[in-house]
Amino acid sequence: MTPILEFERVTFCYPGQKRPALRELSLALPAAGKVAIIGRNGSGKSTLFLHCNGLYRPASGTVHFAGQPLAYDRGALLSLRQRVGIVFQNPDDQLFSASVAQDISFGPLNLGWNEADVRQHIQAAADLCEVTDLLDRPTHALSGGEKARVALAGVLAMEPEVLIIDEIMGNLDPWVRQRVMAILEQLHAQGKTLLLATHDLALVQGWASLLVVLADGQVAFVGPTERLLQDRALMEQTGLAAIWQQAH
Amino acid sequence: MHFIDRYAYTNRIRNVDPACKVALALVVLLLCLVLNRPSVGLLATAWMWVLAVGVAGLPAGDFSRLLAAEAFFLVLMTAGVALSFSIAVPPPGTTWMWQVGPLWVASSPASLTMALHPVTRALGGAAALNFLAMTTPLVDLIDLLRRLLVPSWLIDLIAAMYRFIFVLLDSLERMVTAQDSRLGYRSFRRGMSSAGMLTSGLFVNALQRTRRLQTALEARGYDGELRVLPSIYRQDWALWGTGLATVATLILAWSVS
Repeated sequence: MTPILEFERVTFCYPGQKRPALRELSLALPAAGKVAIIGRNGSGKSTLFLHCNGLYRPASGTVHFAGQPLAYDRGALLSLRQRVGIVFQNPDDQLFSASVAQDISFGPLNLGWNEADVRQHIQAAADLCEVTDLLDRPTHALSGGEKARVALAGVLAMEPEVLIIDEIMGNLDPWVRQRVMAILEQLHAQGKTLLLATHDLALVQGWASLLVVLADGQVAFVGPTERLLQDRALMEQTGLAAIWQQAH
Repeated sequence: MHFIDRYAYTNRIRNVDPACKVALALVVLLLCLVLNRPSVGLLATAWMWVLAVGVAGLPAGDFSRLLAAEAFFLVLMTAGVALSFSIAVPPPGTTWMWQVGPLWVASSPASLTMALHPVTRALGGAAALNFLAMTTPLVDLIDLLRRLLVPSWLIDLIAAMYRFIFVLLDSLERMVTAQDSRLGYRSFRRGMSSAGMLTSGLFVNALQRTRRLQTALEARGYDGELRVLPSIYRQDWALWGTGLATVATLILAWSVS
């Protein structure tokens, strides 16, 4: 089976920084999987995500989507960004409109859908994310958990095949976190590919079908979570052993 | 500012077409300015109160307090017209005069009438704009501007500014609290220095936020225009009826005076 996303020796360096954020990183992600990505701050998680829908372009190496290398022209990027959606870490960075309904309408309108279609997708995404009764509230009156769910709805309204969530869990209370995980479960049942960046190994353990550990711009581990937990040497090497022990 | 914004989203005529509310407010404002009669200004104020409290369901207390604050400033500004101050004794025939220390304060029915005109005129207009501000959220006004074919770059700018005022206020508040908890404002000198650092910090903060926003928008297919779907509005016959009655009474009051 072709992986839905594949990175082939991808290197990326932020302007003005000597150390590359990604160093010849190679990784293949299966379609319809539940992938968890863990790694310390600055290990390259966000940079990796921004390569997934062409927001960043590798300095060297290639990114493939559904077996095809990414093209970076306008048309190709628009269609890629519909198929790969990213929910960003801080919802305040993503929610640009003071009206919740209008913010959710932004992505679908950029895809050139007609008004009836857009309204239907807003409704469906809002229902799924349980934000229907927030639709005519102003964005600035929402709580952190509500903002996160609205940000999620804004991405889901575009009907992506791959959903990337960049560490939103850290700021959410356990109740909202549980709701978000339930939403992810429904999306998984629809056959979507899920990528979740997190610091929470316990959360990953029961959930992920594939675990990726990033360290220093490279993949330190790919495989089922159980295998990582049994690999003492790697656990020590990535510093996860101490964290895991503390959590249990 | 926060309470005005809050009412704008929660009043009873929130979902009424903003064109209707803007038209009403502007017509009343215009009538107050053009007709220029104290009776017109006072009637307009009264009608706007009825519209805000009776039709839109705003709390009488808050709407009145806002009006009272504006009235206070208006009276203060026209005090110079109503009263005259001089060291010399006012000329004979002056209706009212009082001696305060070395100063003579004088007034007359004519100067009072002269002061009454701008006060009532401005109060009526202010009431109309208060009504608009407290019943119509800015997002609806932006929708209206879009319908009026205002260039999209200007609309995007207004919309983004409105959204990020709150984000900026939020980070400002958190930064001030953080500085305060490390005694950044314990003395005037430290306070000035802390405020300076806060300002430069906010600028950097805003710049980084802009970059992240740009990335997030591009991830959803942004190509230079912030396209959003307009809301669906309703018409409100009570508002139309009361609005027409307002305009009719104002013109009537002008023609009989």
